Amino acid sequence: MHRLNVLARFGIVWVTLALFVVLAVTTDGFLTAPNLRNVLDQQATLLIAASVATLAMIAGGFDVSIAAIAVVAPLVALRVENATGSVLLALVAGCAFGLAVGLANGSIVAFARINSFITTLAMSFIVFGLGYIVSERSILRPVSENFRDIARTRVLSLTTATWISLAVVVVAWVALAGTRFGRHVYATGGNAEAARLAGVRTRRIVVAVFALSGLAAGLAGVVAASRTISATPSDDFSFVFGVIAAIVVGGTSIAGGTGAVWRTLLGAFFIAFMVNGFNLHQVDPIWQRVIQGVVILVAVAADAWSRSRRA
Amino acid sequence: MIAEPARGSVHVELTSVSKRFGSTQAADGVSLAVRRGTIHALVGENGAGKSTVGKIVAGLYASDSGSVAVNGRAVRFRSPWHALDAGITSIAQELALVPDRTVVDNVFLGVESVRWGCVRPRESHRRFRALADRTGIHVDPAARVGDLSVADQQRVEILRAVARRTELVVMDEPSARLSVSERSQLHRLVRSLRDQGITVLFISHFLDEVLALADEVTIMRDGRVVRTTAPAAETADSLVEAMIGRELDATFPPKPASPDCTATPALSVRGLRCAGSAGADPSTGLDLDVAAGEIVGIAGLVGSGRTEFLRAVYGADPAEGGEVMVGSQPLRGARPDQAIRVGVGLIPESRKDHGLLMERSVRENVSLPHLGRVARAGIVSRSAERRLVRAANTDAGVRDGGMETPMRLLSGGNQQKCLFARWLVPGLRVLIADEPTRGVDVGSKRAIYDLIASAASEGLAVLVVSSELEELVGLCHRILVMRDARFVAEFTHPDLDETELLRHAFGEAPVSEAM
Repeated sequence: MHRLNVLARFGIVWVTLALFVVLAVTTDGFLTAPNLRNVLDQQATLLIAASVATLAMIAGGFDVSIAAIAVVAPLVALRVENATGSVLLALVAGCAFGLAVGLANGSIVAFARINSFITTLAMSFIVFGLGYIVSERSILRPVSENFRDIARTRVLSLTTATWISLAVVVVAWVALAGTRFGRHVYATGGNAEAARLAGVRTRRIVVAVFALSGLAAGLAGVVAASRTISATPSDDFSFVFGVIAAIVVGGTSIAGGTGAVWRTLLGAFFIAFMVNGFNLHQVDPIWQRVIQGVVILVAVAADAWSRSRRA
Repeated sequence: MIAEPARGSVHVELTSVSKRFGSTQAADGVSLAVRRGTIHALVGENGAGKSTVGKIVAGLYASDSGSVAVNGRAVRFRSPWHALDAGITSIAQELALVPDRTVVDNVFLGVESVRWGCVRPRESHRRFRALADRTGIHVDPAARVGDLSVADQQRVEILRAVARRTELVVMDEPSARLSVSERSQLHRLVRSLRDQGITVLFISHFLDEVLALADEVTIMRDGRVVRTTAPAAETADSLVEAMIGRELDATFPPKPASPDCTATPALSVRGLRCAGSAGADPSTGLDLDVAAGEIVGIAGLVGSGRTEFLRAVYGADPAEGGEVMVGSQPLRGARPDQAIRVGVGLIPESRKDHGLLMERSVRENVSLPHLGRVARAGIVSRSAERRLVRAANTDAGVRDGGMETPMRLLSGGNQQKCLFARWLVPGLRVLIADEPTRGVDVGSKRAIYDLIASAASEGLAVLVVSSELEELVGLCHRILVMRDARFVAEFTHPDLDETELLRHAFGEAPVSEAM
């Protein structure tokens, strides 16, 4: 029973390791430096948003506005870049936009007590709409050559996108696992009333996690725009689906109160390795979606099952 | 059923049933025969395995080994549905009703009167009236269940069980959340169920209740059956001895020396008006002083405004007016974190809903209000935290040093001790405890009384609310009686008397109603 618990608790570790080993043995071109560097680079934007969104999820919040922020923050950033020519100002503007939307989300959830899924869904429509207004419905491109350097500079053979994502993961990890703030995040999501009676200022925590989640989504959006050297207005929610998939496959509960940033890191890489393996084996991308969906269901079912076993 | 089995024949029989959770052997070779049409009580300390046995009978848990037989036929319930089919229903401590639906809807949930797929309300009401007449349970059928008192909700659950032609009801701590008068109504109801031929497996902490009500008593300790006897052959003391496996020490610790009430009180409440306390005169509020080293009790019926008062003092709910002073520092706004900063700690009424984070470790639960003390620049020092928690756990007598154990795996008594440990840190001045021994076993009760007494002798001001008058009389220097959100009487040690307290708590109502 005890051994079973360890298996279940760290399931995502074993599964990700197993997948890695299987792919390394069976798939030509998987275990090569360029391929792995490529996977890291491709996962960068998702990891930036997902590692911070994990905090919101653990605090009991559900942030779907990540997709909208990641679409619109680079539009804001490029508008600023086009006007000023400053890459730094563009980066700051994109992040500030995400932070502002996140603060609005958090304040509405904490003070108006509207369900966070509904709040951030409504906010998504507002933000998507703002994106069309800001960009005047056109694709924006940087005027400066340097804009691409945000994500595409190579340092020690890894891209800056990778380095930024690793930095964000480390900061989110330490903030959650090592700080007073992180403990308060767990407490708020685990039992908000108990946390409040133990002196946790739960509303502040809720505002803070949504603000940080928005900030990270803004940064992720700017990094993505820097990789593609453009930004397009849209109302595409798909980014947040990838983020939530990584969080839940890692084993963070959508009910709040439990989870970890390392879990999200593994969840993201599990999905990334899977997709990479499919691509190397030239599996039809349409079937890839179906299989991905099944994998997410299995992961969540396994988690629910292991929870119900420990009465 | 072709022939109704005779009353007194064996209804449910457990043979060498065992059940393990992780490293805890919750039931260890339990053999037990429950006779048809009797009230069979299960008693034992928390963690003795009585709830586990109740849940195995009700099909909520599957046993690891051993066998269960109903009416002489071996059964293996894999879910509560199988148990329902066999005529067994359970009424848990936490009630399982749909709060937004009416009483009728809840009673017939899953067994509705249906024609063409549509529920027939008139037929349902007719069935409901028949059921009410048969059982003598009268609850407004159109009331929303969430608006009912706990006692009425419990009646709805019992009606639901009867509506399903239940032959055996497992009741797990049914009286734990009831007031004294509601308990005696429950007892009448349980007896009437038995008189209709329904078997009742009655799990309870209240030994007087068990002795008065049960036809047979099974005493459990450490997952094993100690003995099954007739209550006539037992006394409360003999039950306790069998439950804890030794003789019980005196029930209450000696009271700490009477405090110096002339000094500035540690806690001073003036004109406090609690939000939403019905019947309160809005022109006056509540006044109370508690001296350092003094234990003050608040008695009163459930709904008298005791809990609202404590929560307003602590800042858990906003007050509509008045002033709370801790020493010379005023407390303002609904801010528990500020109350904690000036040295006030609250042990709330419900451990599970308002006290603990069940998924988190003992360490994280105990240190939660004090992370500022063990963190530098926001980063928590694990070693400083462990030192703080170890000292507090030692003081509170939290059993076994598993600081990393998830809270949900601890027994009720140990969970409650963890809540005490949370406040046994240097700098605390006022300890507020709401029902500190609710759902706690006999052995842990004494430990909790000791903790309260020693906290006071170390100079803390202690404010206790309890439904158990004996507990207040045994512990407190002074007791205030609350009724309709007002203090109606005050008694000082040694003039503390349960009957007098009750009389004031009920107002003009006859005292005989209470047990």
